[in-house]
Amino acid sequence: MLDLHAEMLLEEYDAQLPVYQRLETVVQQTLEQALERNGIIVTAVSTRIKTRESLEGKLALKGNKYQSLSDITDILGARIITFYTDDVDRIAAIAEQMFDVDWENSIDKRALHQIDSFGYNSLHYICRLPKKMVDDPYCPELNRIRFELQLRTTLQHAWASINHDIGYKTGVEIPREYIRRINRMSGLLELADDEFSRIRTEITDYRRRVQQLVQSGKLDDVQLDGDTFNSYLQARPFDSLNKRIAAINQAEIQEVPLDEYLRVFRALGCKTLGDVHRLKKQYEDNAYRLARYQLGNTDLDIISSAVGIQNICIVCILSTGGGKLGLVRFFNVVNGVNSQNEAIAELTYEQAKSLQL
Amino acid sequence: MKTEIVHNGNQVIAKFIGRLDTPSAVQTAEDVKPLMEVENKEIILECAELEYISSSGLRIFLSIRKEAAPHGCKVIVRNINDEIRQVFMMTGFVSLFDIQ
Repeated sequence: MLDLHAEMLLEEYDAQLPVYQRLETVVQQTLEQALERNGIIVTAVSTRIKTRESLEGKLALKGNKYQSLSDITDILGARIITFYTDDVDRIAAIAEQMFDVDWENSIDKRALHQIDSFGYNSLHYICRLPKKMVDDPYCPELNRIRFELQLRTTLQHAWASINHDIGYKTGVEIPREYIRRINRMSGLLELADDEFSRIRTEITDYRRRVQQLVQSGKLDDVQLDGDTFNSYLQARPFDSLNKRIAAINQAEIQEVPLDEYLRVFRALGCKTLGDVHRLKKQYEDNAYRLARYQLGNTDLDIISSAVGIQNICIVCILSTGGGKLGLVRFFNVVNGVNSQNEAIAELTYEQAKSLQL
Repeated sequence: MKTEIVHNGNQVIAKFIGRLDTPSAVQTAEDVKPLMEVENKEIILECAELEYISSSGLRIFLSIRKEAAPHGCKVIVRNINDEIRQVFMMTGFVSLFDIQ
């Protein structure tokens, strides 16, 4: 049974609900736009308004703590769940710039733990919308009402959700041993969170190093894999050959993906980007000859950006004795296994034979 | 040059008959416009009676493919003759299309 004060707060809640709903829309949109602007990909952005039932429960427990509805700072709650711990700090910095943060009531739960304790990890900011963001003279409450912004990682969220589920479902006091085990899991997930962040940082560094090696031409130091091959392609190594081929008929070049060729280069024995680059240099003149032979007596004035790399591979396969079967295998990789590939290989083989490649 | 479009369950079949060269490309581009509206279906470019394809024809095929992807459609080029197969191969578009 609620006392009169709590009943009054509930009436205030009913009256203010449309304002909270408007505030919710603004907060949700503002957060989503800010994340997009800053290129931060997260697991989820969500908002919710505390239900009347939930507020009743809260008031029944500690209704006297609040003078008015505005003292309850979590009627509107927003939550961002990130992949990485670093992103929690990044988003926190963005939120500090966007919103007026009520520092006195904001809590970094991560910093509350003693050095030898683990448990709930999340960053809770109590915020208001500044007038520079929303200024509606007919609804000044939009700038007055505080809302709670929770920032946590996916793993922190998983721990918090499971901890909540276990703690609330049992209905009996949980023995100390189990609490210790739950908290121990929090420590484990904190380790995992740190490791994921470290892995991301190291991968970013690795990509940067690979790009530098590609730019500096030290390709023998770079192992051939999906990531490094993409970096190599970003340097557009086949452009000059494509342009030479395009010049045969003054053709336009249509961009197409080239990532399937990673498997072809691997099958051709390339282990580093240096191997790919040498193969390209070795066969590009004959690749051009093949294109000139094929396109020279046509009026085809459109080619794909795959034509250069395709012809290099064809010439390499034939020059190293791969024959017709090698071409079929090549087309099976780049086109997918297809009954047409044999006919395409046959055609290519006959053309290349007359060029004595 | 004639283009016929037939809806068949989950497939839309565009049948090309004749020579898809530069003079006929303008009309063909107009004829295939309904394909750009198709959603979540397989678009079959039936080429059994297509004798020849020029750069203009290739551009039409490319534009059909470009529009199909965001509409959830897959484009299949079917029954091309040797000459057309050669065009796809030497221009480097052979791997871009599902040729059956």
